[in-house]
Amino acid sequence: MDAKRDDVAAPAADTGIIVTRVFDAPRALVFRAWTEPQQLMRWWAPQGCTTPYCTVDLRPGGAFHYCMRLPDGRDIWGLGLYREIVVPSRLVYLDSFADADGNPVPPAHYGMSAGHPAESLVTVTFEERDGKTRVTLHHAIPVSVEERGGAEQGWTEMLERLAAELRRS
Amino acid sequence: MSSDRLSATFAALADPTRRAILARLASGETSVTELAEPFEMSLPAISKHLKVLERAGLITRGREAQWRPCRLRAGPLEDVADWVAHYRRFWEQSFDRLDDYLHALQGKEKKHGRKKR
Repeated sequence: MDAKRDDVAAPAADTGIIVTRVFDAPRALVFRAWTEPQQLMRWWAPQGCTTPYCTVDLRPGGAFHYCMRLPDGRDIWGLGLYREIVVPSRLVYLDSFADADGNPVPPAHYGMSAGHPAESLVTVTFEERDGKTRVTLHHAIPVSVEERGGAEQGWTEMLERLAAELRRS
Repeated sequence: MSSDRLSATFAALADPTRRAILARLASGETSVTELAEPFEMSLPAISKHLKVLERAGLITRGREAQWRPCRLRAGPLEDVADWVAHYRRFWEQSFDRLDDYLHALQGKEKKHGRKKR
């Protein structure tokens, strides 16, 4: 595996968004739902969106390429470049926007603000307990390790609160 | 690269002292001396943090010679908060759908056996 050590270290709350959920299904089944295109198309993307296209090349350096159709009919293509794959417990990929041919494109291509990061690292871990599967997803904030300062828990939440306060004032 | 601006904002926010400074400024503009008080830090150390925040566009500093009050700027903070909120929503809603899908999948399995792909 050629992923950099820093990128695959245990994720912490000060380095990004963490979403955890326990699914009532065995780990092998949940892992397949994340790595088989026909299954990804059934659940990937938020409520109201659909995923009409998805391919998966499940190997380090391979990618999954998908089309997310928004409720207004617009298509947003995305690419996940696999950095690390441990069946059935761990997936690490670099997330970016793409075109229909699977080439990465800048976020501005989809009308995102100029400040939107071009790529970010996503780490998904799958733990089995009593036939259920705990999935922990870490979506890293796009800051290199050298740029990170001290560790403090949950600062993304603090940030959201602060921005909400500012909007009110 | 166009992603530099948000990265600079995140980098500026990655430090707990700088976040504390921003939280303090959320309740109103203030002087550097006042800002430095709760931190047990030298003025030059605080000034260094303020420079990082200023470069990231998170604060502005008045030009009034003596006082130079620091003020919070909402724009970049809202950009990063939007980025965080966008992905949090993406994952939470996708997880809801995955939960529904896995239930349906296993329900189907019990009745019809596992359907390959």
